[in-house]
Amino acid sequence: MASGKAVDAVYKTDPPRAAKKLRELFYSAHYVHSHTLHFYALAAPDFVLGPDAKPAERNILGLINKVGLEIGKEVIKNRAYSQDIQRTIAGRATHLVWSLPGGVSKGITEEERKRILEMAKVNLEFAKFGLKLFDDVVLKNQAYVDLILSDAYQTVTNYMGLVDRNNKVNFYDGMVRVVDTEAKEIAKFKPADYLQHIKEHVEPWSYLKFPFLKKIGWKGFVEGPKSGVYRAAPLARLNVADGMATPLAQEAYEKYFDTLGGKPVHSTLAMHWARLVELLYAAERQLELVQDIEITDPKVRIIPNKIPDEGVGVVEAPRGTLYHHYKTDEKGMVTKVNLIVGTTNNNAPICMSIRKAAQGLIKAGTIVTEGLLNRIEMAFRAYDPCLSCATHSLPGQMPLQVVIKGPQGEILRTITRG
Amino acid sequence: MKILLLGLGNSILKDDSVGLKVVRELGEKVTEENVHVEEASFANIDILEAIGPYDRLIIVDSIKTKEGKPGELYPLSLEDLQSTLHLSCPHDINLATALELGKRLGMHVPREIRIYAIEIEDNQTFSETCSPSVERAIPRIVKEIAERECFVFGRKSLGCREEAPNTKHPMTNKFQ
Repeated sequence: MASGKAVDAVYKTDPPRAAKKLRELFYSAHYVHSHTLHFYALAAPDFVLGPDAKPAERNILGLINKVGLEIGKEVIKNRAYSQDIQRTIAGRATHLVWSLPGGVSKGITEEERKRILEMAKVNLEFAKFGLKLFDDVVLKNQAYVDLILSDAYQTVTNYMGLVDRNNKVNFYDGMVRVVDTEAKEIAKFKPADYLQHIKEHVEPWSYLKFPFLKKIGWKGFVEGPKSGVYRAAPLARLNVADGMATPLAQEAYEKYFDTLGGKPVHSTLAMHWARLVELLYAAERQLELVQDIEITDPKVRIIPNKIPDEGVGVVEAPRGTLYHHYKTDEKGMVTKVNLIVGTTNNNAPICMSIRKAAQGLIKAGTIVTEGLLNRIEMAFRAYDPCLSCATHSLPGQMPLQVVIKGPQGEILRTITRG
Repeated sequence: MKILLLGLGNSILKDDSVGLKVVRELGEKVTEENVHVEEASFANIDILEAIGPYDRLIIVDSIKTKEGKPGELYPLSLEDLQSTLHLSCPHDINLATALELGKRLGMHVPREIRIYAIEIEDNQTFSETCSPSVERAIPRIVKEIAERECFVFGRKSLGCREEAPNTKHPMTNKFQ
């Protein structure tokens, strides 16, 4: 989606309204798909079964054992619906070849619209259920609320996300807004100006760069108002926005901040709740768009007639603000590409959150149990990071090494997986 | 019997693409109409949608083991991968978990699941071409999988090896 917008910019075209709405409809379905999986398969087991449950049980299979097969079936059904919606709109759910300079390759028929409408209604009901489940399992259990608010899971950073003209969360389009550690706006810029606001720090031990706010500068892996580190993704998007653009998501947004003590929320584990608020927004927005009178308009592309050169496209990927920047020759052949992808924005904060969780949970004399290691991993998992998925070679274990050191820095134990 | 031959991998990460290349070649040669070939970059929860109509699922993927020789073929069963019944990726679930989930939810899961893992050398470099050692092995691997699965190339049967996937294959212990 970011690529499609970058190509529009390269060719200096503005797609027809129907094309933009179709892209946003597709993208809303993508969010439903992505956020549903993360919550039910990866986040919920930690809360429903407990962070100390055995790993063999603390997964989606354990989850359905505890909450019932029906919920498992609903997860599969709702993900399948959102995949179906994406396929219906764009031909493919993943790796689609549909966005073109100036619009999209095809629209949808009235018959397709009606099919999508029925599936979108089901998605909305399930999104509402997700928040209810979170309410019942997590918020009604004071131990979990305390865990979310505990110091070990607080990482005080700046935040970044796309907002619409009313400063509401928007996944597809808008201005990039940045707020500081107290949620005060410190920048709001057009996507094309991103290089004026973001720089990338490099460490010799990582292939992945560490973006930071240029005006503040790189001060290291440190928290607080003087640090240039910022976060993206659900927690950040809710912190930067003034609200949600759909009614039920707005209610959920208000409850979220009321419960967690107002803006900004720095708790990494609150990311799960923020993700469910976004899931509700995506489902509501999907339903709004499929009922929009323009959505079946056959005019879905403007043929570009200008000489291509350079363009930037930005969307909110589920895992953070996604920047695509292309330069081309006069024939449109790409000569230079720069990408900042969702998880990259969170590279420094992920490191900091893991360190803080480890320091907060392991004290002198603490016995490091599997459950404790999982609590540290929870600080990582909350970001829904897209790190080890580039290759899929068997046996498919996520490579992970935990080194436990004593007070003098001596290595007491090394645990390796993958 | 309806068979899904599923190649897994990333087509631009050198040897990671070997599973895709092998099923592509098998797809070009196998003439039986009951064999359907798919290429995918995932083996996660979405696989439950893809495998619904099939009786046998054959997966071809790459593998990296400590002492493996690039190009070596390991026929495995799902049980061999049970030790990985947890996250394979921080934002998804792995194949074994997805299939188990399908079974528990009463969904159709193929009765037979066979996995062919191909030892690789490099899945960290951007390239659409495999390492020479892996590339050279592809024709042999294609032939061996066809024999094990009793596939017919054109009018020519390659003959069947009667062995089932070897659950006690020596490499099994390499990643447990």
